[in-house]
Amino acid sequence: MFLLNYYHPLMSCMTDVQNSKCRASNKHNGPDNGVIKSSHHYTKISKYQNGVIRNGHLKPWKKNLYSNEGYPDNYTDKSFLEELRKNLHVRKLTLLEAILGAGLITQRLCIVVIFALSFYALNCNQISPLFLLISTSSFSFMSYLLLYENSKIIPLWLLKSACAFVISGYILSPVLKTLTETISTDTIYATATVMMCVHLIFFDYGVSAVIVSTSLSLNAALFGSICLCSRLQTAFHVFVFITIAVQCFAVSPILLSPIKSSISILLSFVTVTLVLCTRVSSLLSGLFLCTAVFINLICPYYFVKWHSYKDNIYGPWDEAIVQDIKIKDFHID
Amino acid sequence: MKHKVCMASDFFYPNMGGVEEHIFNLSQCLLMKGYKVIVLTHSYKDRVGIRYMTNGLKVYYLPIKPFYNQCVLPSMVSSLPLIRYVLLREQITIIHGHSAFSTLAHETMMIGRLLGIQTVFTDHSLFGFADTSAIITNKFLEMSLADCNHCICVSHIGKENTVLRARVNHHRVSVIPNAVDTTAFVPKLELRTKDKITIVVVSRLVYRKGVDLLAQIIADVCLRNQKVQFIIGGDGPKRELLEDIRSNLNLGEQVNLLGSLEHSQVCNVLNRGHIFLNTSLTEAYCMAIVEAASCGLKIVSTRVGGIPEVLPPELIILTEPNVPSILQGLYKAINQVSSELGVPPIECHQKVQSLYNWMNIARRTEIVYNMVSLEPPKSLGKQLRSYISTGVYPFLLVVSFMHILLKILDWWIPRSDIDLAKDYKAENYQVNSNTSVSENQ
Repeated sequence: MFLLNYYHPLMSCMTDVQNSKCRASNKHNGPDNGVIKSSHHYTKISKYQNGVIRNGHLKPWKKNLYSNEGYPDNYTDKSFLEELRKNLHVRKLTLLEAILGAGLITQRLCIVVIFALSFYALNCNQISPLFLLISTSSFSFMSYLLLYENSKIIPLWLLKSACAFVISGYILSPVLKTLTETISTDTIYATATVMMCVHLIFFDYGVSAVIVSTSLSLNAALFGSICLCSRLQTAFHVFVFITIAVQCFAVSPILLSPIKSSISILLSFVTVTLVLCTRVSSLLSGLFLCTAVFINLICPYYFVKWHSYKDNIYGPWDEAIVQDIKIKDFHID
Repeated sequence: MKHKVCMASDFFYPNMGGVEEHIFNLSQCLLMKGYKVIVLTHSYKDRVGIRYMTNGLKVYYLPIKPFYNQCVLPSMVSSLPLIRYVLLREQITIIHGHSAFSTLAHETMMIGRLLGIQTVFTDHSLFGFADTSAIITNKFLEMSLADCNHCICVSHIGKENTVLRARVNHHRVSVIPNAVDTTAFVPKLELRTKDKITIVVVSRLVYRKGVDLLAQIIADVCLRNQKVQFIIGGDGPKRELLEDIRSNLNLGEQVNLLGSLEHSQVCNVLNRGHIFLNTSLTEAYCMAIVEAASCGLKIVSTRVGGIPEVLPPELIILTEPNVPSILQGLYKAINQVSSELGVPPIECHQKVQSLYNWMNIARRTEIVYNMVSLEPPKSLGKQLRSYISTGVYPFLLVVSFMHILLKILDWWIPRSDIDLAKDYKAENYQVNSNTSVSENQ
């Protein structure tokens, strides 16, 4: 193979044109099979240069810049791209892991839907606000006690902030009711929908991505719920609604964080939401079910399936990563 | 046939760096061989218009303002009439673009291709594949090189990288390294300190050059070994870090920060040291270590990019890019210096001299030029077809639009109306290899 490769560089320009077709096909194959194509390539060249092939005493080619006399500058050795590595840091996920991961999104979606349903129920007077307040608050309280059973005593700061919220929320609810009253109902609904989407997009699902912003997601959700407040009938309705909003968006992420995602929790979330949905509209519940299936089954399936297309290239050209920088230790010395 | 070569790059004198040096030295050697060479670059502050440098190297400082990172905005259209005028006026037969970051180089090559001029491109840098910016830059490079006749890389790693990122056929990529002016970089042993071991670092003080590693190494070596001193040449955003280390650890006597250096000063700074330390995190070729080796210094360098290919193992101590490994290499070098082991400076210089010289590089570049000039001209259809494989179809519109603009210009400012520039005739070509610059105009 070495001997075939040795040819006068001037010859290569003629062969270059001949090989332009070959090049076009190579491009589609991608560059990673460069080594394979080289053999094909150079045997082609040998046809054009009978007599140029020399059986001289060429030293084997070395990957350095000073000792390869006799080889043309565009010579490609067998070792070309030998140090190419692919997909070094890729962790293969199983379908179950992917479904559980997607389950976090469904869980959040369920909470948003339950929140929207509570607005609907309050707005249409289908449920008494006092009953709703007592039931949701006691549910949150019970789940707190269950999940944090190690800390038997409720910390003082938690009681304090709960009291502060209840008092200020109760005082401010008339203001919140009239705050966006002049804005048309359509605008209010549109804004609330967009804000809930923002909440879902930027929520911290436990993945360290650039897009994640806990504060943005919380604020968007609260802004959306404050918009909705003005459509309710009395100030007490508003107070109840705000309490539910805070429980859904501020308290629930903290409450749910220690529970590991599991199929049973996921199923219970979806079932409860679906049952509540059916009491409002069958179309809505159908849509919800479709979305849940799409997020939880179809997306993870394709995520796992398309993993084989992942093609990260690593090689000696990558920038080295600086580790163990602890200059501060030297400052103390 | 003597080609008329146009070197196109955003990076040229008065800037200083590997690319600039490469263009200047290559041009000088080609001029000596009797080629006509002009350099095309953008304006640097008040440096606009035509200037002549050593041996009649004509430099066009086009009146285009740099836009980001010393590069012009590649509008593909606005500077087209000017570049066309220059290329026709100088009767250019080969355009040689330099550096993947230089937008002017890509633009000139594109216009040149449409005018039927052959193009050669030299890639001086390495690029990863992981992040978004790399993906975008690689796509642009692929588009630009789809119709380039030949590429030159400065190291074998560079070739692998270019073949992967720009999807050029490996057969159209040559490896021609940089060289070093060994007549300028000679060992001057009398400048070395007798009682202390001096470690020299000359680089821009930026993250990519591993200044964070350097800071920790300075702290460790200076505290452990009072007989070692550091001389650091170069400037950059990470200079503060080194200054902090120096003041916090009271290393004022052992660490000497010189700030940015003129290229002519570098040799004298290098000669004050025994050991040259390079902590780069990525590097396609690394001229600094060759310059230092030419001055007879012991080289300690990180094993990244093309560095392992540059010097034979007896002249360099390679380490991994982390602090313990570099420290180990550095202590090995210090031991060698104090017990006078290893290759003596004069031999080191002779070795480098035998490995690298610009005339050899110019000869090899000449082979590429000859090769390229024999390729038949491509029709517009064929040119457009070569861009199809990149998958960026809107780019075909840009190229077509540029073609139409050139046709309009051919009617508006016909080729016959363009004055042809007279070739510079020097009475006697002096073999003048230092980088002195004369400005006549």
